[in-house]
Amino acid sequence: MHSLITPTKFAVLALCGLLAISLGLYKSAESAEQMSAKTQNEPLVTDCYESREGYTTVTRVEGAVPQYGYPNIKCSQKTGAVLWYGDPYEGTVPMGEMPEITDATRGNYANAVVKPREPRLMYFNMGPDGCKTCHDGKTVPAPKNKKPRELAMHQDIVENSMQLMHGRGSLWCLDCHSATDRNKLENRQGVQIGFNQPQRLCGTCHGELYIDWRAGIHGKRTGDWAANGKKRWWVCTECHNPHTVQVNRFNPIKQEAPPALPRGMKNADHERMPHGEH
Amino acid sequence: MSEEKKELITTEDAIEGRREFLKNVCLTGATALVAGPASVSAAVEAASADADTTVAEFFQGHFVLMSDVEKEKAIERLEKRYTAKYEKKTTVSNVPAPEDTLFGYALDISKCIGCRRCVHACVDENNQSRNDPEVQWIQVMKIPKGNFAFSADKLEKGYPETSQFGDYGVQVGGNAHTRVGGIGTEEAQSHFDDLVTPDNDHFYVPVQCQQCEKPPCVKACPVRATFRDSAGVVLIDYNWCIGCRMCQLACPYQARRFNWGEPNLPKEEMNPHTHYFGNRPRMRGVMEKCTFCAQRTREGRNPACLEACPVGARKFGNLLDPESEVRKILATKRVFRFKEEFGTYPKFFYYVG
Amino acid sequence: MRKIVSFAADFGSYAIKGGPKYYAWLLFLIGIILVGCFTAYRQLTEGLILTGATDQIPMELFFANFIFTAHVAAAAVLVVAPGYFYHRKDMKELAVIGEIVAMVFVATGITFILFHMGRPDRLWHMVPGIGFLNFPNSMLVYDTIVLNVYLFLNMAGITYLLYKKYIGEFGTKALARWFTPIIYLAIVWGPLIHICTAFVLSSNARITSWATAVLPFGFLSMAGASGPSLIILIFLLIRKHTKLQINDSVIDLLSTIIGWSLGIIMLVFAAEIFSVLYSSAEHSASLKFSMFGHNGLNGYVPWFWGTMIALTGSFIAITIPRIRKSYDRWLPVLCVVIFMAILIEKPMILVFPAFSPSPMGEYTEYQPTMIEYFNVLMVWAMGFLSLTLIVKGAIGILTGEVKHHKAPAHKPEVHASTVPSLD
Repeated sequence: MHSLITPTKFAVLALCGLLAISLGLYKSAESAEQMSAKTQNEPLVTDCYESREGYTTVTRVEGAVPQYGYPNIKCSQKTGAVLWYGDPYEGTVPMGEMPEITDATRGNYANAVVKPREPRLMYFNMGPDGCKTCHDGKTVPAPKNKKPRELAMHQDIVENSMQLMHGRGSLWCLDCHSATDRNKLENRQGVQIGFNQPQRLCGTCHGELYIDWRAGIHGKRTGDWAANGKKRWWVCTECHNPHTVQVNRFNPIKQEAPPALPRGMKNADHERMPHGEH
Repeated sequence: MSEEKKELITTEDAIEGRREFLKNVCLTGATALVAGPASVSAAVEAASADADTTVAEFFQGHFVLMSDVEKEKAIERLEKRYTAKYEKKTTVSNVPAPEDTLFGYALDISKCIGCRRCVHACVDENNQSRNDPEVQWIQVMKIPKGNFAFSADKLEKGYPETSQFGDYGVQVGGNAHTRVGGIGTEEAQSHFDDLVTPDNDHFYVPVQCQQCEKPPCVKACPVRATFRDSAGVVLIDYNWCIGCRMCQLACPYQARRFNWGEPNLPKEEMNPHTHYFGNRPRMRGVMEKCTFCAQRTREGRNPACLEACPVGARKFGNLLDPESEVRKILATKRVFRFKEEFGTYPKFFYYVG
Repeated sequence: MRKIVSFAADFGSYAIKGGPKYYAWLLFLIGIILVGCFTAYRQLTEGLILTGATDQIPMELFFANFIFTAHVAAAAVLVVAPGYFYHRKDMKELAVIGEIVAMVFVATGITFILFHMGRPDRLWHMVPGIGFLNFPNSMLVYDTIVLNVYLFLNMAGITYLLYKKYIGEFGTKALARWFTPIIYLAIVWGPLIHICTAFVLSSNARITSWATAVLPFGFLSMAGASGPSLIILIFLLIRKHTKLQINDSVIDLLSTIIGWSLGIIMLVFAAEIFSVLYSSAEHSASLKFSMFGHNGLNGYVPWFWGTMIALTGSFIAITIPRIRKSYDRWLPVLCVVIFMAILIEKPMILVFPAFSPSPMGEYTEYQPTMIEYFNVLMVWAMGFLSLTLIVKGAIGILTGEVKHHKAPAHKPEVHASTVPSLD
């Protein structure tokens, strides 16, 4: 039995060593974990934009949907974009009448709602009568014809009124804006259209997109998924600015955060290889 | 506005009358929480709720095979536990899938700009673990469009490649050794982190659960914890899953995500409107994945990823209804399925709009 | 009943008796198990996040080691089959050792799978009756069934044989009626567990390097190399340290089996590498990643070439009679090399690189954690501990040192020592 002591001692020592090593490893691993877990106490971003910056904005309101205790929206803390809607119909109004289209892709707009555009327009909201506050025929005289001319105002909207971006010079302001009632748009047949229904004007030229939009293929619709359900139809000018189509139409927007790297990976450099080299 | 909300409530009640009872139960629980000395009673409530439910949940059978009474009890348990744990009134719905419906999804890859808003909207809606482990159900691929810059070096590279054994001067290389788009994943990036998006040399393909008609994951699951519901959505009973990850091996889309650790879901970010098969908070060691937002779509609303998409590239609807947006897209656009060669018949379609 | 109690008591008391080296070995294993208990506790309470597994590579070291234990367990039939199919008398007596190896490593493999599971507490969901099995769809169900049946078959066979020998009633009649059918079934079942394990992998169409028809053949040949390597080591140790005699002919047969198996492994690898690399189509990405890396991500490359060199070198070495016959020196070294090469091949070539590229084209390297290593070590230590104890007890019974006090006085024949060498 005497000879048994040495291996036993050895084994016990080895065991203690293993325990010590493993404990040390856990401690270091744990401290590393604590280092990486950053506590984020930055203030919540609550003023958010819907499609892209400079278009529709929404402010987060806590408890806006009492049924579930939701806020009305949740925003990206990185970019300030609206990510999530508690109530997709917040601030919407019925879309109103749409001209009949009798082809196969007709839209079902009986339950359609839109977010009114008028409260979002800067100049429209400058006075009690909308654009007519100035364009009343006296303060700003009524235009004689639709010929391009230098504008004294609104250079923030159109930089060069002699060469408008939309249509690359072939269109002018009064081809879309009513010459007689500045609170309205007007199509080529002289039908006056409200700012809340820009699609009726845009669709007169962009017919294919308009048909797709009515069918629900182009553009965005939120709310119910059923074909005849209540939906918020996003109108043209919620995503597209008709005045700056060439510079702002496809301007890049801010990107949300990438997914975490798989545990154990230090970087994703191997993904970013200059392509075309094999 | 108030009218709309009323409308929402009444449709819900029509769908499932007994939920009202459960809501009252939860409401009472929530009131008790508020009324009592807040912190102490909350802690006690949480502890007792945990103790009650842990045992009962452990012996719970497969949810689909439960009797209505058992289902009601299971849901009551969960609502009690979640309400105590997340300190807000939580509902766990058991609304069945709508009848005569086959859910389908269409995504326009010509519009997608890779902004990843859908990814984060999904996280906001579906109560995923926020970090460590970070769980996201949608992954966006960034795929190069192809680069044909001329390089004289490449002319040396014939095909088959020149060798010392025999290249009789008839093999001439070229400059087209480059991938061009498609949705081949050979050069796809998933961890791209650009300041702004889109990058004009790339296009973007978001991938989530494709809700296959022949789901390999369902076939591989040894306990049928994952299954296809009547609306064609593949769901998971999180309480039945044993965490063997055979479904993750089988899925050709890498759509399934595993809760490697205890999910890390902050109370203030938790979405209290949940469904048993949808976004109710999961536990450690179970599989989860996109359910087309079961808690929303079964009640009529669009999935969260669709509502977040800033370019309207995402469309959702009933494949059995010819008037639905998805069917109109299938009828008029160039549609394809991702990895069609696996023969899984996804109900998630990609199209060029 | 008393006989059974005294069988267990005698078996157990003989198994824990031994010299200082024996105790040191047992204590070493127990030490690893004790450390492993702590790491296993942490994994069970905190989840698999403590391992290196991710959604990109969801199969960890446990799964890779499970496949390897299935190799070893399936290969045990290579000891049993010659005795019963070809009536090699020198091997018939040793069949029980093969059965023990099979039983222990099936149990080890099942333990690995328990570590692999996210919710081991819900294992009862797989018990028919209270839970249910997705039969006949899920390949894991088949694997569960065949593994458990194999475990049961071996357990029953070993217990029956050792008990009958212990009470001295092991006659040819009893052998024919009970033991032989079980042994024959176990021999057929051995490859079956392995084929099923291969199908668990190759049924996943998306993992292109697994979804190949050659996988079961590769597995069986690797079983034929790794299992006998371990068994040769065990036999050499038994021969050196116990009274049970094992002839050179047994060792020679096993090393011949290893040689053939290594040859088949090389053919399988060559066939796979050729058919994938010649066309260099989509399916080659994973193998290319193993062989050459991807854009500087080349952690698997040394493992791939190292394993290939080790296997090729072992094949050449084992064809040399001088090395093959060097029972005290080179053969054990060679066996350790083969065993380790195939053990390392499992995670570093078979499992981890198979997940790159992922369905999204991601390339990922697996980083095992310390907790994972310790848990793997613990399961191995548990396996080797039970293997040591059971084999030790079995040797006592086979040599007649352990027997019931009422058993017939004559010492049971140890065939291995009485049969002349065959070569």
